[in-house]
Amino acid sequence: MTSVVILENVSKHYTTVKGNEVQALKDVSLSVQKGETVAIVGPSGCGKSTLLRLIAGVEKPGSGRIHRETAGAQFAVGYVFQDSSLMRWRTVYDNIKLPLEVVKKKDLGNVDRLIEMIGMKGFERSYPIELSGGMQRRVSIARAFVHEPSIILMDEPFTGVDELTKEALENELGTLIRTLNVTALLVTHDIEEAVFLSDRILVMSPRPGAIVEEVPVNLPPARDPSMRSNIEFFAAANKVRAKLLEMHAMKVDAAT
Amino acid sequence: MASIGGARRLGLPGLANYGLPVVSFVAGVVLWQLAVEFFHIPAYLFPSPSAIVRIFFTGNINWVQHTLVTLNEAVTGSAIGIIVGFAIALLITLSATLNKILMPYIVALQVLPKVAIAPIIYILLGFTNTSRIILIVILTFFPIVINVSTGLTDVDRNLIFLLQSLRASKATIFYKVRLPNSLPYFFDGLKIGVSGALVGAIVAEFVSSNSGLGFLILNSQYTFNTVAAFGAFTILTVLGLLLYAAVVLLARQLMPWYRSG
Repeated sequence: MTSVVILENVSKHYTTVKGNEVQALKDVSLSVQKGETVAIVGPSGCGKSTLLRLIAGVEKPGSGRIHRETAGAQFAVGYVFQDSSLMRWRTVYDNIKLPLEVVKKKDLGNVDRLIEMIGMKGFERSYPIELSGGMQRRVSIARAFVHEPSIILMDEPFTGVDELTKEALENELGTLIRTLNVTALLVTHDIEEAVFLSDRILVMSPRPGAIVEEVPVNLPPARDPSMRSNIEFFAAANKVRAKLLEMHAMKVDAAT
Repeated sequence: MASIGGARRLGLPGLANYGLPVVSFVAGVVLWQLAVEFFHIPAYLFPSPSAIVRIFFTGNINWVQHTLVTLNEAVTGSAIGIIVGFAIALLITLSATLNKILMPYIVALQVLPKVAIAPIIYILLGFTNTSRIILIVILTFFPIVINVSTGLTDVDRNLIFLLQSLRASKATIFYKVRLPNSLPYFFDGLKIGVSGALVGAIVAEFVSSNSGLGFLILNSQYTFNTVAAFGAFTILTVLGLLLYAAVVLLARQLMPWYRSG
């Protein structure tokens, strides 16, 4: 097993506009193995998005080390954001193509393959404004896969999507992850989403975010919707929930 | 039905919404005509609509020439204003230092009623067409600067992160994200700019000129030819509408991906 990303005691401070020091992350150590999907679950504002930005390299850690396995090739990430963050001036096709342009890959075959896989054939020439919220998420997911990145980073990818669409999108994303055999790191506050999509779950504490528990998901690697009622699904979900509630109670105690 | 959809796509309210405004306008014109006739208001005080229409076909005013002079000033001034405005917007968004250096001048120019400087421009640059154009440029470039610089900076942070994570250069981020993002802002600025251009052209002609619609209005005052002034108002209203519609049409053409409001 080779690691794609290793974090060693990574901490990160911010200075707010008012000049206050805020610690976003505290001594975070984790690794993501090639081909696995890891979920990080934690309350809002626990520094999850910061963690993804550090791994993506768009921000630098305050202390600690981040090791990225390049395996000869250039390390690249795929990014899925909370709101789909598409370029509204680009068509579906051109939005998905964007990462290929930036990393200067000439072969555009992946664009068509992904459009097919996400069921958006016939919408290539449509602009984001003409698409439903669910379709926009599909396009942003395809954009994250298109350049075959070393790791796909997902920042609460289905926030603000209605429950039914969300479940459908999770099923599709799960299929995509297994079919293309990618490495992925999913950040979410949705416990069921984390269990359904990942191989193991890291539970994060409220700010300053630190990893307080690791919960393995004992489900077969290839997921299908029926597994949502599997006993192992509930076992993992309950473990994560118990830890989150425990931390929440501590926070309330500390406040009173 | 197709024409209704077409009107909507042009950013104009649907034809179905035109009924009441048209009735209101026609009723107003009819009332105006009747009031002038009923109260025997002399044409040099307040001419009737029919008198205004008549002045276009009788008399010795060369309407086409005066209109073209004003339109030419407005369009030339706007074109230069767009280029200058875009250039300044680029400078102040690309360099924080330049932004700070230019900011006091931009703020000062923003709060100053710009037509106030019209008489002095002629002292500086002479009683030429250039002075008229300069005043129009000052009136048009400003909304372009403000809107375009907002459009260049007010971008989805996630898109910047996405491109940075792929090691895109600042130049790549600029032309792939910032520039296209600024386009709707630019057209909003241009809508304000073209109406400012007409204001500038008229004020410039008020101060000094020997042709154009502004000259015509001033001349009408001296000769108590109020009908001619109202003729000029009518043409200015139509010009303003046409310029605005041209900007809206161009925006629709260049930004099929954009829906305002």
